Amino acid sequence: MRSVFQRISIIPVLVVLLVIVSATAGHAQEPRIQMSHLDYLAAKATETVDVNIDERLVQIAIKVFSDKDPDEAQIKKLVAGLKGIYVKSFEFDADNQFSAADVDSIRNQLREPAWSRLVNVRSKRDSNVEVYVSLSGTSVNGLVVITSEARELTVVNIVGPVDLEKLAHLEGSLGIPDLGIEITKPKTKNEDQ
Amino acid sequence: MKHVTISKLIGFGLVILLTASLVNAKGDDFGSVVKMIEQFYNVKHEGIPFLAKAGMKVVGTAAKIKGGTAKRLAEVGSIKLAVFEDQEFDGDLIKFRNSLNEALKQSWIPLVQTLSATDEEQSYIFVREQGNKFNVLVINIAQHEGTVVQATLSSKNLALLMKDPEGAGKNITNEATIIDQE
Repeated sequence: MRSVFQRISIIPVLVVLLVIVSATAGHAQEPRIQMSHLDYLAAKATETVDVNIDERLVQIAIKVFSDKDPDEAQIKKLVAGLKGIYVKSFEFDADNQFSAADVDSIRNQLREPAWSRLVNVRSKRDSNVEVYVSLSGTSVNGLVVITSEARELTVVNIVGPVDLEKLAHLEGSLGIPDLGIEITKPKTKNEDQ
Repeated sequence: MKHVTISKLIGFGLVILLTASLVNAKGDDFGSVVKMIEQFYNVKHEGIPFLAKAGMKVVGTAAKIKGGTAKRLAEVGSIKLAVFEDQEFDGDLIKFRNSLNEALKQSWIPLVQTLSATDEEQSYIFVREQGNKFNVLVINIAQHEGTVVQATLSSKNLALLMKDPEGAGKNITNEATIIDQE
């Protein structure tokens, strides 16, 4: 006599399992965001910078950066484990060349629970800065920085274990622009009063 | 027995043909890019015989490069250069960039690309591994002139390029176009 388990066909079970696994995998996707829809802005920008350091280039960087040169050793340490660094930056010679919808198109990809916005960040310059991190368990596996000014829009997406301090050290290297990010200390009760 | 030998020969021939076409595809990207620029913008590059280099107009000077003194980055004899002078680069920047990226995506990795729609300037840096060395392809296009440079870099010099892509990219272009004083 066949048991209940034997009577249940294995195929539907496998299909259900596959769907669950795919959904989980989808949720835990690499925190690479889409930025190509911003490309149209290049047609009116005075300067567009596009940095694409994918996993292959990260591996090359690890291979070619020397441990003896302090600068290179630091970059090597910072990029180790990363899966990509992607930057899109636009500068314009007039205001209102990009819209709120352009920024929203990035923000909309950074929804909870996968992404959290860091609040203790501000710009050293007069830009609006938003920093989002993607968490895998308790560790950060991705970061997005959006900085916008009247005539400038920059989006940085780092895939892999990264924090703001790491990013600050990478600014100015590997084509990453100076973002002017400052980490602020949380205010105490006394400071608020 | 005879059948096996013929099959082996055909197989061997196919492998050779395939290898040759792969090598050719990888090695001829420089020529393809030059041709692509010519077709897209309807321009013509100038052939630069080695000795004629001395009479060439220098685009920028190495002294302007960040850090002051020019540093030789490319391996000796590895530079391929195409220059476009007094041409009209009139066309859609974005369309060109997309076509270029599409054409090179199989064998080259894009590092940094900068565009200026207002100044009609574009620059592209692509990298690929070549054994224990690296090939770099630097393309600069302005309103009336352009350069395509392919060079081989050591890992040490690729590190310099990766640290400061814009500065080192300019350095490589200058190195290719500057009068060789040595």
